Amino acid sequence: MTSEYPETSAYGRVAILVSALVGVVLAVGSVWLTTFLLGGSAGASSESLFRVAPTVQDGGVGADWTAGNTIPALDFLIALIHAADVILGVFILVLVFIHWAVFRRLASRMRRPDGDRRSEGIATDGGREPGTGGERPTGRDTDAERNGAERGNPEAGSGDGGDRR
Amino acid sequence: MTNLDHGKFTRVTTVFHALLALDVFVLFFTGYGIMFNDELWWLVTLMGGNEGVTAIHRLVGVGLIALIGFWMTLMIVTPTGRSNFRAIIPTPEDAKAFVQDILFVLGRVDQRHPNARQFAGYDADEIPLLSYVGKGVIFIFSVELTLLSISGLLIWSKTALMGFFQTKTAAMAFVVFHGLLGVIMLMGIMFHIFEHGFHPAFYPLETKAFIPREMIPEDHGDSEADTTGIENLTLSPSWGWVTSLMGFFVVTGIVSVLLGSIFDEGYPVPRELAVGGGPTNLLLTIGINIGILVLFVGLVLSLYGNVLRSRWERQIEQERDRTTATDGGQRSDD
Repeated sequence: MTSEYPETSAYGRVAILVSALVGVVLAVGSVWLTTFLLGGSAGASSESLFRVAPTVQDGGVGADWTAGNTIPALDFLIALIHAADVILGVFILVLVFIHWAVFRRLASRMRRPDGDRRSEGIATDGGREPGTGGERPTGRDTDAERNGAERGNPEAGSGDGGDRR
Repeated sequence: MTNLDHGKFTRVTTVFHALLALDVFVLFFTGYGIMFNDELWWLVTLMGGNEGVTAIHRLVGVGLIALIGFWMTLMIVTPTGRSNFRAIIPTPEDAKAFVQDILFVLGRVDQRHPNARQFAGYDADEIPLLSYVGKGVIFIFSVELTLLSISGLLIWSKTALMGFFQTKTAAMAFVVFHGLLGVIMLMGIMFHIFEHGFHPAFYPLETKAFIPREMIPEDHGDSEADTTGIENLTLSPSWGWVTSLMGFFVVTGIVSVLLGSIFDEGYPVPRELAVGGGPTNLLLTIGINIGILVLFVGLVLSLYGNVLRSRWERQIEQERDRTTATDGGQRSDD
């Protein structure tokens, strides 16, 4: 068996430098352009300006807000993003639960830390023997053990008879 | 194959990933310190109060635009980058991989689809550059980062925006839009941390995005194993309880920021007059703080990945030195 480091087509030094330069120019330029186009200054903090509004009766934090957002387009945009947050949030939660369950099933096929290869997860996923599931293990331990040392797993080549019981 | 599996990222990609992660984490800590200031008052105080936190957010935001500009240019001007475009296009196989993951959870199939596998082991050559989740992450994050950058630039000077629209609430609406948009990414990152930190074969960290491909030896032996070999790996003793705890934290964090984003839009008057930002109760406060804790774990894991790369590099150097000493001066990888 041979093992070697692969020939990878990395990015060229010049391309990296040019890209970095473009990135910096884009970042600084976009900030400059935005403030230039809108004619404002980042120095004036609107939070400080409107935090307290003594001109409004019973003034206090946020008290100068006498009306909500009155531009329908912006109102719609916010409603849209709220909906996207909820829909994608639920989808992300589904992904979390799927992966959590997948990880548990995969873990049930791994060797136990105490050296016992059996786990309680096997019985709950259909009663298969430990070597017939996971990310396609087939229990071909001869190959596995032969390659175990290279895979960096000190126990892989220990020859304990695989995970069949 | 090694137990580092199919590391297919170049060194530039791994460095970019590390910088992007660092940048985005700081943007989250500052941005959501502002949006959820009721719940994360301590974070705002920690970063210099109202002015400190906005200053950091702006500075790091410029860094994000620089990183995006760098990456887009690199992808366009280099052949490697252009070839990556093809690798990230979703295919029908990705949809099948998602369905098969559900069936795998239900015990209806015995294996994950190749487009879903994080641990490929002996089958590494059959596994695409990115899983279906990886492709989704790239697409959603690309759209998110673009829109966040544009909206972030628009609210760079809120006083100017107020002048432009001739109303204060319009400017605040843009701020709210910016914050709500980021919530999707915030939730996505929490899942990303869970997905790549708590796979049993890689726990506590999948090193794919940290150790460049050029440093991971490829096996050219005669092994014909049709197994991933996951059954030969030993589960970490702490995996069970740590993953259960983190799973609970991730779900709590996602649910909390989702609820928080509905009730607490961050500024007094985003859509309706609701001074105080909506209901703030103890549970929501704890939940959102747990979400921030998940991000801290992600930040630590990201830094740990770079420590691992450094250790790995040193180990390879030592192995090369040893090989050089024993085979008469010829390096084995030459």
